[in-house]
Amino acid sequence: MSDLRIIDIEKRYQAVQPKNDASFMLRPVRLSIREGEFFSLLGPSGCGKTTLLKLVAGLLQADGGEIWVGGENLTNVPPESRRFAMVFQQSLLFPHKTIEDNVAFGLKMQKVGKKQRLKAARDMLEQVGLAGFGNRFPDELSGGQQQRVALARALVANPRVLLMDEPFSALDPGLRKEMRELLSRIQKDFRVTVLFVTHDRDEAFALSDRIAVMGDGQLRQVGSARDLYERPETTAVASFLGLRNILSGVLKNSRFASSDGTIETDVTKQLTDGAYFMVIRPEAIKAAEGNQLGHVSVSGIVQELKYGRGMYSLKVNAGNQLLECVVTTTQAEKTAVGEPINLLVDMEEVWFLKE
Amino acid sequence: MWRKSKPYLLLLPAAATIILLFFGGIFDGLLKSFGYFPAIGETELNLAAYDRLLHSASFWESMELTLRVAALSSFLSAVIGALIAVALFFLNESMKTNSPKAWHRLFQLPLTIPHLVAGYIVVLLFTQSGFVSRVLAAFGWIDNITEFPVLVNDPFGWGIILTYAWKEAPFVSLMLYPVLSRIHGSWREVSRVFGAGNWQFIREIVVPAIMPGWAIATFIVFVFTFSAFEVPYLLGVTYPSVLPVYSYQLYTSGTLSDRPEALAVNMILAAITILLGLVAYYFSKRWNVLKGWG
Ligand SMILES: Nc1ncnc2c1ncn2[C@@H]1O[C@H](COP(=O)(O)OP(=O)(O)OP(=O)(O)O)[C@@H](O)[C@H]1O
Ligand SMILES: [Mg+2]
Repeated sequence: MSDLRIIDIEKRYQAVQPKNDASFMLRPVRLSIREGEFFSLLGPSGCGKTTLLKLVAGLLQADGGEIWVGGENLTNVPPESRRFAMVFQQSLLFPHKTIEDNVAFGLKMQKVGKKQRLKAARDMLEQVGLAGFGNRFPDELSGGQQQRVALARALVANPRVLLMDEPFSALDPGLRKEMRELLSRIQKDFRVTVLFVTHDRDEAFALSDRIAVMGDGQLRQVGSARDLYERPETTAVASFLGLRNILSGVLKNSRFASSDGTIETDVTKQLTDGAYFMVIRPEAIKAAEGNQLGHVSVSGIVQELKYGRGMYSLKVNAGNQLLECVVTTTQAEKTAVGEPINLLVDMEEVWFLKE
Repeated sequence: MWRKSKPYLLLLPAAATIILLFFGGIFDGLLKSFGYFPAIGETELNLAAYDRLLHSASFWESMELTLRVAALSSFLSAVIGALIAVALFFLNESMKTNSPKAWHRLFQLPLTIPHLVAGYIVVLLFTQSGFVSRVLAAFGWIDNITEFPVLVNDPFGWGIILTYAWKEAPFVSLMLYPVLSRIHGSWREVSRVFGAGNWQFIREIVVPAIMPGWAIATFIVFVFTFSAFEVPYLLGVTYPSVLPVYSYQLYTSGTLSDRPEALAVNMILAAITILLGLVAYYFSKRWNVLKGWG
């Protein structure tokens, strides 16, 4: 087993201007990534994702902590001896080398013979759908193709860990989707351990076995996409994942009352009394009237009606709370901005979190 | 029709002037080097001037001197220029203050000075009675200023070489510096992750990256120093003289019959320059010099 273990790695940047104390600090991170796992670091810009990735690669010197792969301590091993690979946001191909030579670069550094490494490079180029492009130069390829080459270059030397720093964020949406599928397929074929950095929730959700949500230089929560989305541990994670319907309130004797008075309902879940946040996913709300078992009804005024991918997303002003929900086109046609609407919230789908 | 041809028409006066002066001049020179000289009644074309030239010892000595001066100047400029560029590059990397900019400006200074002025500066500094020699004598490093080596107006051409090295090294560094700064830190990171140590990085990335620019810069210096006139005229000796000066001496010797030879020297210079240009073009194609850097 060669799991990647990150044990209390931390880093503080020196303030660029000594007077300015706002230097960034990555709090100790502890993570264990299984061999062959696709693991993503998800977080807003500036939260330290790249910093953590570079610490793992060895490109930055950590202030403390250790990096292990399997039984091997890599903390003091320089990056060139770690047998890792990396794909960056830009393809960073070497412009004076042909595509083939670019892909074969890692093997050349490992002193693999010319014939052998060029064959390996060609095979890998075929894997990423670029057979026959080997003799071109990087500037003769499109951005997407260049990024495929970067992927091939990273995989050809059979790395122990593949590190990827927002590799698709410079591509257009269609291409991004295509690249995700390619990466997903190749990752499964090669069973390579991937540590993937992104600020795009959909991308992380589509690719990862597990995700770590980061914020302000620390890990906020680690889990599968579904864990994170349905059971966020903090409001910060919830709102970063796009969950806007967060109602603070108090739970007492199995009854939750939101502090703004929008919702008051019985709670069947086994929870101790106290202050809670109630997180309602947009999908847990439907536009309907009347009473339904296990549902709580809320009424409000439609404030915004937006079409997106087969569904309408609705913003409803309910008391002091803005609720986001999604409705079908037929339901949306029955209402309009400024009109009253009745909503039902499925209490089975609601999540309570305590901070 | 008018719309399409308008830009060309507007360019016509300038283009015509350039073409007339440049090709007209070359053509006129070519004719005269073949002995066509209506002013003294010569209207027949022959190769006599070339024949005489190629059999004269002073031409070959001049050729040797020219090649030596050009080769040494471009070699020195290339080495010094590369050192300056690399030094500036690392200075920029290691410092966050404004001092690299000041250094940059300092090294650009020689670029702004005309060659003739540079030549005079070298005269003032490096003649036996010049500044450097006097300073050395004053500090007792040499007993007498006559002990100072003859660097100006010397038969070997050190003065010329010195001037060119001083003047062209910044040019080479100016050509190299942008290339160096394109080797961004990220490439170092990429190559490290893929297993390249410092030495491998230099061999695989840095040298191939700067090589083409370096070769081209050196070549430009070579061609320039090969065919330039004013510095050797100022700092050289009367005999042997570099080809452009030799041509000038022949032309102004007072004997009209020397003129075809003077122009033949020019034609040979032009031919060699064009030939070198073609060779450089061929290699730049073959090495993919500008590949991917566009
Ligand atoms: N070399 C450095 N010196 C000082 N501070 C730095 C340095 N590099 C990054 N930082 C700071 O560290 C913080 C985290 O940077 P990092 O690049 O890890 O963010 P990120 O999560 O990758 O963001 P993004 O999604 O925008 O790439 C930022 O606030 C940044 O300003
Ligand atoms: Mg980043």
